[in-house]
Amino acid sequence: MVDWRLFEPLFEFARRKSLWIVAFCTGCGGIEMPPLMTSRYDLERFGMMPNPAPRMADLFLITGYVTPKTLKRIIITYELQPDPKYVMAHGSCPLNGGVYWDAYNAIKHLDKYIPVDVIIAGCMPRPEAVMDGINKIMEMIEKGTADGWKRYKENYEYYRKNQDELFGEGWREKEARRWIPWLMDRKKEE
Amino acid sequence: MMVIETALKALLILLYATFVGFMFMGIIRIVTARIHRRVGPPIYQPILDTIKLLSKKSSITHGLIYDFGIIYALGATILALMFIPLGGVSILRAYGDLILITFLLEIPMLGIMFAAMSSGNPWAGLGAQRALLTLLAIQVPLGFAIVALGEFYGTFSTYQIVMAQQSMGWSITSLPLLLAAVAYDLVLQAMFGKEPFDIMIAPGEISLGPMVEFGGKHMGILQIQHAIALFAETLFFSNIFLGGAVITAFASPIINTLATLVVLLIKQTAVLMVAIFIGAIFPRFTIDQAARFYWKWPTIIAAAGAILAAL
Repeated sequence: MVDWRLFEPLFEFARRKSLWIVAFCTGCGGIEMPPLMTSRYDLERFGMMPNPAPRMADLFLITGYVTPKTLKRIIITYELQPDPKYVMAHGSCPLNGGVYWDAYNAIKHLDKYIPVDVIIAGCMPRPEAVMDGINKIMEMIEKGTADGWKRYKENYEYYRKNQDELFGEGWREKEARRWIPWLMDRKKEE
Repeated sequence: MMVIETALKALLILLYATFVGFMFMGIIRIVTARIHRRVGPPIYQPILDTIKLLSKKSSITHGLIYDFGIIYALGATILALMFIPLGGVSILRAYGDLILITFLLEIPMLGIMFAAMSSGNPWAGLGAQRALLTLLAIQVPLGFAIVALGEFYGTFSTYQIVMAQQSMGWSITSLPLLLAAVAYDLVLQAMFGKEPFDIMIAPGEISLGPMVEFGGKHMGILQIQHAIALFAETLFFSNIFLGGAVITAFASPIINTLATLVVLLIKQTAVLMVAIFIGAIFPRFTIDQAARFYWKWPTIIAAAGAILAAL
């Protein structure tokens, strides 16, 4: 058999240079994405591409504040993505609540529920700041410190406990049955 | 000895086609970016994408057909490539029937559809349905264009058509075949999945359609298949309409072959550029508009070509 670890530097280079984005554009950061993708700032020169399918995503952008309702979708979308995967959160809201610091219906610390690799501060960060964050995550992939997907596996109990505290036990199955029924049906057959 | 030589040739064709196909994918992205006044990715970007996709862990499968459909699509594309004349190196060119090649170039879409539908994702099912309707819509003009070629040259053999063009001039210099070429080029737009007819993929509308459930290695293989298909489709068009290339001016057969490949490459790039420009300018049709378009204008043009060729 071929020892694939030999090719790991090549894979790391390819991962760094071809990050496909799934953007979760619910917050106000979604408005920063069009200038990033189009002629003004042109993310495609770094090989990044917006991609609607979580199955082929590498970089998961959380652009703005997170509510419990969207957090459920975020967690399930995150778990649909194949390894290795990276998460980048925009703005103050996923970091510490931002202007929603005392809101009853906003998540204050996103990294209690899923591991976040890079957080860009600001309300909202300008596209330049987002590009700086993307530069940072490329550096981290090169050094091997962008290991959120490993941390999620190692500390799954911790994340699972926090998620269950917020949503109650069995929320995952209930939610998944509602909006990805084709997955649940297959599981039942097996 | 003969077997080894043939196998070696097949491997060379495959490597060359994959490499040039990936370069074509890079050219598509760069030229589209320049039309948008962007910088665009480097030309080797699709290769990096494929390496990354192949290096991903895909722990998801949806059964046997899901895995088999991908291999089926790749295999059909490679088989189609082997039948198309490619200078002195092609191995099955003597058996390259026009109808056979057009059939083999459409099969990959069926393989992808099998795989997509077996995943059970509703977007994939919708995309597969649209792909089937597109496939149905392009059959009529495609058939007429092939019939026009057969009528004009009196043969369905691609290789004989290429040889006939060396003495009679390119196919598009005669009026009936020019009409057939215009119709075929419009069909090619749908076969590439480029813009006015990218109803099957429809990024942003049905979230990549059939591709939505493929991740990791499945998508990597599909990228390779797409590269080879791009190469094969442009090669087929430049062979039957743009004169192909048979160069015997040099003494050494190796230099002759290389010159043939270069001439073919220039013609293929021209075909690709037309597709990119049309794709970058026009917005997307809906499926009923596309079917109505294909059954009206390209069909009329190709039918006129077939009738003129028969007269």
